[in-house]
Amino acid sequence: MPQAGAARVSNREVVMKSRLFAGAAALALLSGAALAQDLKFAPGEDARFHWADFDALKAVDLKGQSLKIDGPWGGVDKDLFNSVVAYFTAATGASVEYVGGDGFEQRVMIDVEAGSPPGIAVIPQPGLAADLAKRGKLTALPAETAAWIKDNYAAGQSWVDLATFPGADGAKALYGLFYKVDVKSLVWYSPENFADAGYEVPATMEELKALTEQIVADGGTPWCIGLGSGPATGWPATDWVEDMMLRTNTPADYDGWVANTLAFDDPKVIAAIDEFGWFARTDAFVQGGAGSVGSTDFRDSPKGLFASPPGCYMHRQASFIPSFFPEGTVVGQDADFFYFPAYADKDLGKPVLGAGTLFVITQDSPVAQAFMQFLQTPLAHEIWMAQTGFLTPLKSVNTDVYGDPTLRKMGDILLQADTFRFDGSDLMPGAIGAGVFWTGMVDYVGGKDATAVAGDIQKTWDTLK
Amino acid sequence: MENIAGTRSGLVWSVNLAVLALVLLWTIPTFGLLVSSFRDRDQLTTSGWWQAMFSSAQNIVFRAAAVETQRQNGAQWVIAGSVLGPAGGEVKAWGISSKDPTAFAPGAMATMADGSSATVAVDGAYRLSAGKAFEGRSPRLFVTAVTPPRFTLDNYRKVLFAQGLGRSFLNTMTVTIPATVIPILIAAFAAFALAWMEFPGRALIIATVVGLLVVPLQLALIPLLKLHNQLGIGKEYLGIWLAHSGFGLPLAIYLLRNYMVGLPREIIESARVDGATDFQIFVRIVLPLSFPALASFAIFQFLWTWNDLLVAIVFLGNSADQLVMTGVLKELLGSKGGEWEILAASAFVSISVPLVVFFAMQKYLVRGLLAGSVK
Amino acid sequence: MQQLVTASATIVIGVFGCVGYFFASNLILDAIFPPRGPNAGRNISRAAGVRPWLFLGPALILLSVYLVYPVFVSIWLSLRDSTGARFVGAANYTWLVNDVKFRESMVNNFLWLLFVPAAATFFGLIAAALTDRIRWGNLAKSMIFMPMAISFIGASVIWKFIYDYRGEGQAEIGLLNAVVEFFGGTAQTWLTLPFWNNFMLMAVLVWIQTGFAMVILSAALRGIPEETIEAAILDGASPLQIFTRIKVPQIWGTIAVVWTTITILVLKVFDIVLAMTNGQWGSQVLANLMFDWMFRGNDTGRASAIALVIMLLVTPIMVWNIRNARREMR
Repeated sequence: MPQAGAARVSNREVVMKSRLFAGAAALALLSGAALAQDLKFAPGEDARFHWADFDALKAVDLKGQSLKIDGPWGGVDKDLFNSVVAYFTAATGASVEYVGGDGFEQRVMIDVEAGSPPGIAVIPQPGLAADLAKRGKLTALPAETAAWIKDNYAAGQSWVDLATFPGADGAKALYGLFYKVDVKSLVWYSPENFADAGYEVPATMEELKALTEQIVADGGTPWCIGLGSGPATGWPATDWVEDMMLRTNTPADYDGWVANTLAFDDPKVIAAIDEFGWFARTDAFVQGGAGSVGSTDFRDSPKGLFASPPGCYMHRQASFIPSFFPEGTVVGQDADFFYFPAYADKDLGKPVLGAGTLFVITQDSPVAQAFMQFLQTPLAHEIWMAQTGFLTPLKSVNTDVYGDPTLRKMGDILLQADTFRFDGSDLMPGAIGAGVFWTGMVDYVGGKDATAVAGDIQKTWDTLK
Repeated sequence: MENIAGTRSGLVWSVNLAVLALVLLWTIPTFGLLVSSFRDRDQLTTSGWWQAMFSSAQNIVFRAAAVETQRQNGAQWVIAGSVLGPAGGEVKAWGISSKDPTAFAPGAMATMADGSSATVAVDGAYRLSAGKAFEGRSPRLFVTAVTPPRFTLDNYRKVLFAQGLGRSFLNTMTVTIPATVIPILIAAFAAFALAWMEFPGRALIIATVVGLLVVPLQLALIPLLKLHNQLGIGKEYLGIWLAHSGFGLPLAIYLLRNYMVGLPREIIESARVDGATDFQIFVRIVLPLSFPALASFAIFQFLWTWNDLLVAIVFLGNSADQLVMTGVLKELLGSKGGEWEILAASAFVSISVPLVVFFAMQKYLVRGLLAGSVK
Repeated sequence: MQQLVTASATIVIGVFGCVGYFFASNLILDAIFPPRGPNAGRNISRAAGVRPWLFLGPALILLSVYLVYPVFVSIWLSLRDSTGARFVGAANYTWLVNDVKFRESMVNNFLWLLFVPAAATFFGLIAAALTDRIRWGNLAKSMIFMPMAISFIGASVIWKFIYDYRGEGQAEIGLLNAVVEFFGGTAQTWLTLPFWNNFMLMAVLVWIQTGFAMVILSAALRGIPEETIEAAILDGASPLQIFTRIKVPQIWGTIAVVWTTITILVLKVFDIVLAMTNGQWGSQVLANLMFDWMFRGNDTGRASAIALVIMLLVTPIMVWNIRNARREMR
């Protein structure tokens, strides 16, 4: 009876197939479990994450291929980035190593020039990336990426413009993808210290200046400012000056300044530098006096907020600084921030200064392309978001994932600014923005005249043309 | 005749004192680092290392135990604990507001803004009590206390296991040993040729070697790295071995040649008369006799390559299996500039090996220095 | 573990490779020109003509590649633009002469050259003279020599602890500021004081190099013939007079050698400046300026120009060294 025979055969087949499936499922579960041990958040467990991205990534097989990523992150940030990379390696089987740390800007130039570049470089200054692109050392991103960024990032067009440079042939192309951004126009303070002393969070620059003088009158020290950063000493001051530029001049002036169509020693710029000097060069306003501003390490300076008696009450710094607060500080309770206010009487709105790290491909390979694709998925952002010190303009992430409520608050500032500008010194040519601007600021806080400092910087810029 | 060399006891004493002063001046910096690396983190940042043996006063900002730990004691809700750690200490003054951290003496009672009362005893025990349950975040207590000196191995533990120093130790060994052995071999042969073999151009080569002693190696790091990449050995260990060998050769040849020239002529001449080739003379006679010079140069080169930073930055990479100890230290200096205890411990770990080598081998080092320079 | 195995294997291969080359080449040479048999004499002299080059070969190759080639490349690069693409003639040099930081570096280097060799040699001489006379001299010598074993970056950390500044109201944990305050002065941010910070940095190098000077000068002092000293004592000279009028002039040659060796090192040193001030606050030196333009400014043209200036400054010493060496050989 052919039917019964056929049924018997198919039964056996079904049993075999189901055993096969069971075995495969068990294997998948086991391997999933094995993978999950290395991963910060077990895939599939927390519903807030976009786990679908992880599953889709598993379809990409890059076993046996390797990728080296170099970048500026060291210490805590290095571990956090590695936790993101772990998902990529777990899903695709590729071996990816992040070798970044201190001295990155020097190292990457040596390696790129000498022919031994990393696969992907994480560049904190678009100006440096532009330089590399002009020398033909970068691989342009696939054509659709520009449109994707425009649609999926808040203020997407700006993020495209900031990463589009002329290549070696002079043609402009999109070379980088922004991942991890920082908001810079923030002032950190201890709410409890403010409450103890009866101070209110200032809403305008005029109120901030009045508060500064009030604190001095009460016998305290208002500000902690530190510019020290090894070879990069001076960069925090450039952030101050850029914030002041945005608060005393139009955005068009700011753009002109960055492009040097507005001269560096223009009175508008000098006025902005002196605005910073009002805070930093007055001995009574800064912990340790004006003389220690240039030599205090920027990672050391916020500690004054938490000392007893308080070494200072306010610290103006970007959103990544909580990594350097004393262990056990709860962001949002022990430490909080308020928006670095704008002048009420200048009618320039509430400008926000920000920055970000740009991922570029320095040596093309399938793994590098796949990794860039991975960074375009919400999951890659959410993993770091759920921990600490990470912000992103990607609109498709689930903002519930943010590790602490302050990040969400920052994210809101980022998304709602009426004027948003990228850190100026990161956009200027390397010799200025990562060179004489930094050292000029150190000279300025040491007592040199703003006109002289600005004049020297402009002179150097002229020699670069 | 007595007093020939001026053995008056007054002079001897003043010489001894002067030397003692010099030695102290020269060893105090390193000693300070050693002491600092064992100190507790908070004490490090509040008092100099010379006060390490004494109790130090500290201003502590202490967050009382979480409200979940409160217990009901009759009608009162109580949170209790100790402000000072297991090391103990003595509270001198305390406060409940950052504006006035020394408002109260130990044992006094303070009333908080929400009506609860707080007290801190001399031994650090604190007690918060209120008529109703505590809610929200527990308050801060500001305590000025004198804590006994605390020494710890924590800094070393953190540094050796967490900061990648262990791995970099292996990396540095991998760089240093071949970079010491290879130049010695090559230089020994070259030095012998320049010392005991006759050939045209010998004087010119010697002069060139002496001239090359002064070339600054920052000169062409990028072109050399480019060359390495073109040859296919870029950013690998072989590259850095060759680089260190190249950079160390002038000094090696110079020192070894000076020493070999000083060997007795008769031995070499008689060996030649006996029919030995130059090669045999070198291997069987000159090499063993030159051992002190070889040893001393080896130590020099070892110390130099171990302590080198620049060549390692350029010719070797940054990944975990390539970063050398000086590189790790530089990164720590850059990223943990504020964490002095980590800095002190890692600096000491990185200088410990050269110091050990130095102390074990110093007499060879000295002999070698002398072989090259004293006329 | 795997790294240990590969490392040991590579070390062994490298070393045996070297040894192997020398053995093999000499064996081959002896096979081609056997020192026995009918043409022994001619063979030996022929082999003797070739053999020095076998011995010298690897050394010459390494020296040319790693030390001679860079000199020419640098000259070539200094005449080109920042990426080495275009020829720009003397543009880099004209820029150099007008650059503020370059002028500052030249002045600072001049200070370094004046102060460091003199101080190190002076302290080394005193230490050498004194430690030879006491029983625990060798121990003292080791202690003074010890800083030479420490890397420059380790030394920078050590001295960072000494120069630290905390500010008013806080206890000073830097040794120098603590001493200053003990004597009633006010604490300073030593590394940021214009002009004086150079000396703070120089102190580190003097600290390191004194041991080197001491060891060499000590040997030289020991080499002075006993009779000369005895004669002076018989003539009634005091120890101080013996030292200044007899010993020092006798070892003048060695003092000069020590002085010039330290001078060369002073021109090359950049790690101390890089780690402690990075050339800020007016402390820039040529070697660090070169490093800065090379790796931060990414300008091989300007960096090479600075490197050549350093080489030029060193050339007089090079010439003097070579002349001495040739004099020795006659």
